[in-house]
Amino acid sequence: MPQTTIYVSPRSLGAPDTRPPAVATTDLARLFAGSPALAGVSLRVDAGRTVALLGPNGAGKTTLLRILATAIRPSYGRAAVDGYNLGRDAAIVRGRVAYLSHATGLYDDLTARENLSFAASMLGTPDAAVRVERALADVDLAERARDRVRDFSAGMRKRLALGRILLGTASLVLLDEPYATLDLEGMTIVDQLLGAWREVGVTVLVASHTTERLSPMLDGSVILERGLVTAVSGSGVASTPPSLPAASRPVVVGSPR
Amino acid sequence: MKTRILGFVAAAGVAATTFFALFVVPADVNQGDAQRIMYPHVASAWLAYLSFGVTALAGIGWLWKRDLRLDAIAHAAAEIGVMFTAFAIWGGMMWGRPIWGVYWQWEDPRLTTTALLLALYAGYLLLRRLSDDPERRATRAAIVGTVAAIDIPIIHFSVEWWRGLHQTATIASPDRVLNPAAPLLFVGTLLGMLAAFTLAWLYLMVRRYQLARATDAREEARRLDRIVSARTAEAAR
Amino acid sequence: MNALRAEARVAIAVARKDALSELRGRHATVSTLFFAAVVLLLFGFALGPDSTRLAAAAPGLLWLAIVLAGLLAVNRLHLLETDDGALEQLALYPVSRRAIYAGKALGGFAVMLLLGVLVLGAVGVLFAVNILAHLPVLLLTVVLGALGVAAVGTFYAGITVRLRAREVMLPLLMLPVLAPLLLASVKATAAALGGDPFGELGAWLQLLLAFDVLMLVIGLATYGYLLEDG
Repeated sequence: MPQTTIYVSPRSLGAPDTRPPAVATTDLARLFAGSPALAGVSLRVDAGRTVALLGPNGAGKTTLLRILATAIRPSYGRAAVDGYNLGRDAAIVRGRVAYLSHATGLYDDLTARENLSFAASMLGTPDAAVRVERALADVDLAERARDRVRDFSAGMRKRLALGRILLGTASLVLLDEPYATLDLEGMTIVDQLLGAWREVGVTVLVASHTTERLSPMLDGSVILERGLVTAVSGSGVASTPPSLPAASRPVVVGSPR
Repeated sequence: MKTRILGFVAAAGVAATTFFALFVVPADVNQGDAQRIMYPHVASAWLAYLSFGVTALAGIGWLWKRDLRLDAIAHAAAEIGVMFTAFAIWGGMMWGRPIWGVYWQWEDPRLTTTALLLALYAGYLLLRRLSDDPERRATRAAIVGTVAAIDIPIIHFSVEWWRGLHQTATIASPDRVLNPAAPLLFVGTLLGMLAAFTLAWLYLMVRRYQLARATDAREEARRLDRIVSARTAEAAR
Repeated sequence: MNALRAEARVAIAVARKDALSELRGRHATVSTLFFAAVVLLLFGFALGPDSTRLAAAAPGLLWLAIVLAGLLAVNRLHLLETDDGALEQLALYPVSRRAIYAGKALGGFAVMLLLGVLVLGAVGVLFAVNILAHLPVLLLTVVLGALGVAAVGTFYAGITVRLRAREVMLPLLMLPVLAPLLLASVKATAAALGGDPFGELGAWLQLLLAFDVLMLVIGLATYGYLLEDG
């Protein structure tokens, strides 16, 4: 199951988790073509927690995840993962974060096994061959290992992408709508993974529309609307409102990185 | 205010040296009046290459310091440079026609290199247009500009080698003027024109840079405004 | 040293992955080869039928065909990454950007080399040029030229792969920069075919090599900037 940079969650030993927050952002903002997808998010997620990112379409959930994954840069504000600044230490952050996006990032002409083997070489996974087989088994794709991804259904692709995450040693896992396109078995696999990650102390941030299935596994949740945090609940997550200008003239609300 | 003075001085300098080049300097023994084009042609070529150097250096500066002002300088230099490049090529062709009998001469490394310079500029400017995000645009442009700048001496060098065995005298060259034996009037006019054109270039650079910064500032203000209104709207809820 | 070995492994993994994709389904290499063949035929129609004239123009036609087909080839290598967000995923791996560039350029070089050799053969046949008599030197020229096109092409394909006007921008950016390579390759080929009467072959090959090295260094140094999005 998941391998990570930590071996067992301090919390499961009954000890307080003294690690730096897995996610800490300050006035994080991002514009696309002049329009703010994120308008000022100041969020803290404690290490080892499983937190849901909720909100309607276009609220900025995906944008936030992509920034944390270092796929895109913020327009304003700062962010840190495990205490590492995203701007300065992007390379380190990349080694600690795993990201499941809407796009699977898989190569159509390669088989499932080949896709994972490539990922293993890129992630530097030790004992790659063994780990690849185990990952395929964990996401229940062992029988289809030799088939090309081109022939996979959307659900199978998503499972394979999850398998890719298992090859790394992330301490923060970002899932963007993990249940989407999955059937019942697929969703059970996701639940199992969430449980396993919790046990080893991996922080999980899940963007989702549906909360019913997730709730029993959550520590806390954050609601995003129109690029801003509107509500926070549960433990292990906190948010502060973004800074507002004193006058109506626009002021620099956060240094660009 | 200082810029305006610069503009006046540059304009006066250009006018004066042009007058000299057209009327005061005697016609060339071999080439006649056509040779007069050499003066603005050389001056333009000098500025074409200077501009590209500035574009490349400013681009490197951006990659290093991440200061958008450097990118504005690079952009300004590229736009002004392409103008002078086009003029230099046109001047070269106008000069060449009466001398060589043809508009184009492949064996002149200066002409061919400048033509490629124009292509490189065009690529640079078009690339800039395709990006909206200021930082991504600056990074892409800086890299493309730097590679192009490194390529230019290689191009020149290769073309010179290319024609190496067919040593036709480059009639279209200022060398005959820039040597100790040449009369002071020729040299003086050429150097004067170089100086005047460079002042004009400087003036154009300053203005274009100011324009770029103003545009960037307006864009920035717009972006911030959107963010602030989003936050204010939410706070009011 | 270990870090370098790790990077080499990453580069090879990328090149292998590209090669697998190519062999499996894309047939990009095949279509690029056919494109080069068609280009040569068109040259024949445009400049022929006088075979003396064609033979004299052969070095130039050879390299024009290689460069034009090369444009397609390097573009396709980066298009491999447009599968369902693969490029973004590639950029997220904790590997050095240099290694990714090296891997892509390696794949590009392999394709260009194959292309170059086959086009050389085709030119020999179509334009009645005796390539067998000077084969080693001609092959060396092809190797150096292919390397340069791959280095420059991978680099610019990386810039343009996410741009809107990609099909036009790639040639526009790439071709002026390739001018010295084209020049040197053609001169070297012509010199080789003619028995190098002026002893200039060595100089041209050195220029080619210097160009290749320079472009590779630039590509390795700057590819990282290109992979960073937004």
